[in-house]
Amino acid sequence: MEDRLDRFIICPKCHTLHRKIKLHYGTKALCRNCNSVIYRHHKDLIDNLLAINWVSFIFLVVTYTFSIMKINFNGVYQHLNIILIFEVIFNSGFYLVGFILGFLIFIFPILINFIMIILLTFMKLKRSPYLVKRLLILVAKISPWSMLDIFFISILISMVKLFNYANVELDVAFGSLSIVVFLNILTFKRVRFGAIWEEYNNIYGKA
Amino acid sequence: MFKDKLVRCQVCEAVNLDRSGELFCRRCGEKIHTHRYISFHKTLAFLITAVILYIPANLYPILVTKQFGILKQNTILGGVMHLWEAGSYPIALIILFASVFVPILKFIFIIYLLISTRYKLGSSLSDKHKLFYITEVIGSWSMIDVFVVAILSVVIHFSAVSIIPGKGATAFALMVFFTMLSALSFDTRLIIK
Repeated sequence: MEDRLDRFIICPKCHTLHRKIKLHYGTKALCRNCNSVIYRHHKDLIDNLLAINWVSFIFLVVTYTFSIMKINFNGVYQHLNIILIFEVIFNSGFYLVGFILGFLIFIFPILINFIMIILLTFMKLKRSPYLVKRLLILVAKISPWSMLDIFFISILISMVKLFNYANVELDVAFGSLSIVVFLNILTFKRVRFGAIWEEYNNIYGKA
Repeated sequence: MFKDKLVRCQVCEAVNLDRSGELFCRRCGEKIHTHRYISFHKTLAFLITAVILYIPANLYPILVTKQFGILKQNTILGGVMHLWEAGSYPIALIILFASVFVPILKFIFIIYLLISTRYKLGSSLSDKHKLFYITEVIGSWSMIDVFVVAILSVVIHFSAVSIIPGKGATAFALMVFFTMLSALSFDTRLIIK
């Protein structure tokens, strides 16, 4: 009875129940009720995700290390980098805001990326099913709290506001942050967690 | 048919057969939801906390500008009006939508979902699921204002002009945190029944 449930999928948007069918390469299945994508055919899912996550991790390190933008106010330069945000917020006495920001734009994004690399590597090597399972659960639970994409939009809004005060120049980390956001969209918006879990079942069985 | 008895695991997206009380996913083994009665009250408690925090978030200044020794305090709505007057219409609309409308919409959606599932009122099950999906997706976008304040306080840090976060920023960040918790703790099985 329980195994029969694997033949079904529930639309994440409207909860309509569908029977799964085998898809051709590059095609996707749409919900018959709300027309949203419920699953896709992924070729070499683990390899592709691993490659994307490695690239994302490298660019994430660049984003956290270098300056995102600099502003020129009457010849005086001021830089913006993510670590500096926490420093300024903490120095202003807003510890709670600093703490929340620290998790949303630093700890969670890098943790998710790092965990994805570890679990995908183990899946590729077909090792440690229990660890992979726990890591997959952890990523699914913390992914709603990673807000780099929202932070990226906030930078664009801040830039418009900053034009009133000074000249704004974009720096290295802005480019790398754009790439990270794009790759995150590619990973988590295109690939559903269900697809990784199906790969997990294919690799390790249902033990 | 057992169609109405099937629930989706939020972690691994597996289809599970609903049983009364606590339910654990057959694939990932995670608790799908706690008892429905507990879930309802948890969602309500987080929502009430968020609504309470929304008041200081809007009454207290979120941004304090110090220009040549003169302090100027801006609330969320004050900042939107300032942007509008300065001619930055798209930005004013984004901030207005993300910081004012999104939290209110989330409150209304969650209250509606709680009441309609409790007293079996309103639209179809599919529409309620869509509403819940929208609530989950839009929730985190309210953080835009807090991020903007944080960015501005880093880059506008000169002796003549400086920007610092106001008391409202803490209340606003906490309000977003609690609305997200409220949406995450909502048991979708409440909609099914």
